[in-house]
Amino acid sequence: MNHARTGLVAGAVLSAGTLLLAGCSGSGDTSSTSRDSINYALPANFTPNWILPIGTAAHLNTNNRSIADSLWERLVAYDGSTGKIAWNKKASIATAADFAADGKSVTFTLGNRTWSDGKPITSRDVEFWFNLIKANKEQWAGYTPGQSPDNWTAFKTVDDTHFTITFDKAYNPQWMLANEFSEITPLPQHVWDRTDASAEVSDADRTAAGAKKVWTYLNTAAKNIAGYEKDALWKTISGPYAVKSFSTSGKVVLTANKKYDGGEKPGIATVNLLPFTTTDAEKNALRSGGVDYGYIEATDLDQKEQFTAQGYAVKPWSGWAITYMPYNFNNPAMGAVFKQLYARQAVQRSIDQTSLAKVIFNGTAVTGYGPIPQGQASDFLSPAQKDNPYPFSTSAARELLTAHGWSEQGGVMVCAEPGTGDSQCGEGVDKGTKFEMEVLSQSGSTVTDNMMSAIQSSLAKTGIKFSIKTAPVNSVLSQTPQCTASQSLCKWQLSFFGTAGSWYFSAFPTGDSLFQTKGGSNFGNYSNPDVDKLITASTTSTSTQAIQDYSAALAKDLPVIWLPEPVYQVSVVKNGLGGFTQDSLANFHPAQWKWTN
Amino acid sequence: MSAVLNTSPAAETVVAGYRLSLRRFARNRLAVAGLVVVVLFLLFCFVGPLLYETDQTHTDLTQVNLAPSGAHLLGTDAVGHDELGRLMYGGKVSLLVGLAAGLLATVIGTLWGAVAGYAGGWVDAVMMRVVDAGIAIPALFILLVVSAVTSPGTLGLVVILGLVSWLVPSRLVRAETLTLKGRDYVLTLRATGGTHGRAVTRHILPNSVSTIVVAATFQIADAILLIAYVSYLGLGVRPPSTDWGGMLSTGLTAAYSGRWWLIVPPGLAIILVVCAFNAIGDGLRDAFDVRGRG
Repeated sequence: MNHARTGLVAGAVLSAGTLLLAGCSGSGDTSSTSRDSINYALPANFTPNWILPIGTAAHLNTNNRSIADSLWERLVAYDGSTGKIAWNKKASIATAADFAADGKSVTFTLGNRTWSDGKPITSRDVEFWFNLIKANKEQWAGYTPGQSPDNWTAFKTVDDTHFTITFDKAYNPQWMLANEFSEITPLPQHVWDRTDASAEVSDADRTAAGAKKVWTYLNTAAKNIAGYEKDALWKTISGPYAVKSFSTSGKVVLTANKKYDGGEKPGIATVNLLPFTTTDAEKNALRSGGVDYGYIEATDLDQKEQFTAQGYAVKPWSGWAITYMPYNFNNPAMGAVFKQLYARQAVQRSIDQTSLAKVIFNGTAVTGYGPIPQGQASDFLSPAQKDNPYPFSTSAARELLTAHGWSEQGGVMVCAEPGTGDSQCGEGVDKGTKFEMEVLSQSGSTVTDNMMSAIQSSLAKTGIKFSIKTAPVNSVLSQTPQCTASQSLCKWQLSFFGTAGSWYFSAFPTGDSLFQTKGGSNFGNYSNPDVDKLITASTTSTSTQAIQDYSAALAKDLPVIWLPEPVYQVSVVKNGLGGFTQDSLANFHPAQWKWTN
Repeated sequence: MSAVLNTSPAAETVVAGYRLSLRRFARNRLAVAGLVVVVLFLLFCFVGPLLYETDQTHTDLTQVNLAPSGAHLLGTDAVGHDELGRLMYGGKVSLLVGLAAGLLATVIGTLWGAVAGYAGGWVDAVMMRVVDAGIAIPALFILLVVSAVTSPGTLGLVVILGLVSWLVPSRLVRAETLTLKGRDYVLTLRATGGTHGRAVTRHILPNSVSTIVVAATFQIADAILLIAYVSYLGLGVRPPSTDWGGMLSTGLTAAYSGRWWLIVPPGLAIILVVCAFNAIGDGLRDAFDVRGRG
């Protein structure tokens, strides 16, 4: 045998042998945990790389934001860390928001707070943020045209602790607070308002040109990860923690801010945020006791006893998210079929969400029948969505198709009666069209692979051929863009990128980006004028009925294939670590963590 | 007429040579055992499903992760497929893709090596530098890149595996060709007006058969391993189809759950078949090796 082949064979034997042994191996030891520190496992393959509490597209990650929030508290912390999604005033700089009677302005009251250098936090610090964002909105990751800061017409300082923001029209105050004002972070103007490192602090932000220079200066400084530990710029903070070290390889150590005067006093002095290249590496660290707050995959839930025996509790972390597969309504081959509501109903009725959630996801997922997350109770959920308008039944799905001119040939439904009549296939569906569709699905997840196999199987029973193609998630997103039928990149038919949930909402789950005509993340080009009106109403009406109407309409109209909503992660938490609720907005809040025994 | 008179003794010699090789192969216990293992696996994968019928197209979420029992001799997997049936189903793909890709690589490598060796000069230099360059890039790396860009079907996988595996056979055949092209019968053919093509197809390749056959067996073993690697990394054939590497990959998530039946059977199948093909290859090499003949 040559060396290469010998290596291959040896590799195979070793690999297989290792796997065989792995099947018999037991758990590792447990190590005692220091009471004044905690080891938290960051998601696999994520490296913290941004400290500035203003996200840009290249640095948009919820974990970056969680670290920044620990250093600089938000004006309005609107999250799920208190057990329900609401304004957490203990973690906010503002103490009150009084909306004008006409709904066109709001006056904020700031708490009596100071920066870590002893200077007071004032309206000027909020204005500084406002000016930076106004002048640099195109670079800000939170920007959606027409929304903040476009719909904020003026910022008026009343005094050091009061200011007023006016809007272009009346809005739903809850939506404004949850989705727009929650983005504001008061920044230390008295330290950061300079155009370069050698310039004096000034009011440069008060002109657009100056604000652009300040933006560039801050972003340039933020790109120097190695400087996070020493750079004086990052030492003036308002949050419960300060950076002790910030490695370019991803390990971040936070230490309690002794000058913190807010409502969420840190319970643990040192927080170690640990990076991992793979989930398996993280699980090995967990098994060896090197992680206090980590995670496993849903498929590992049947090993729960192994972790509980090691002194951990397994706690699924539910996310404020929905999961779905967008149809490409502009696909040249299948777009006309996807535009038929009865066809979408047949597909939806072929998906057994209850079994998928229970079996494939080991009970960690919940069924999802519409655009409002169903993992948490909320006032936004309509009865129509909650009750599932299209329960699983492949026989009912077959009847839907046969009643509209389709007949089964060789196991696949074929359009036999083209036309626009009630019993015909529908507009644009040619005779002989086969009900065959392909999904480009996120690779790398056994749970997703299993779910796709199960969906393929049940769709086959209806007579719908469902092919599965896989690619890394970034590749899925780049290959399934918004498109027109004539474009070569419009060949995709279905897309799936929701292994850990397809879309995480801000606190108020509006669908303007996802389902509004030409919405920024409306990948499949869904368009329904009635739904557009409902979406607009949900952001302007003060009644929750508006968003419930939107919920009901999309549960019935099926702009996408609704799928079970998986948890954000299955957390594994060392016994004795408590004092917190896992935030469904997928942020972590170290100040709330406490060792209870 | 003279040609007939000249070739008949040679043909008898060749036949006698192959009978001798066959006898030597039959005396090699390890090689025969390898052959038996391969035949048994071929029967298992291709005849087995006729005797042990299971539904490998549809999932059954009411029958997931069942331990081996009378109803399911090797248990079931995470979506309710009977694992024994899946082993047969996946084995079909592994063996078919392995055999096809191994043979494709051998054919490409043989033609490339024969042309390069026979032509010599700058043609040989250019062709073999291409081979050197190809060998410098790990096949697994190329496979992962290709699989990340596209999601090949079974036929696509055969072609891709074949295209990354022909380099070593081409070197072997070239070396053999270099020794053969100076032989009297090749020179005589050329002197009597025979074409280059005739020299290669009628003399060079037939006399390289032993090298080619041995290379082919090793190529098949390597191809089975490569498809296992690619599938193990989640980039193999698409569901509901599967192969042993894909089964191993799926089963790995159950490594700590005690569901050995998802890991051990496909792992053993890969080990046994790859070792069997290598044993056959070693046996054939020894059998064809004139230096070992007593």
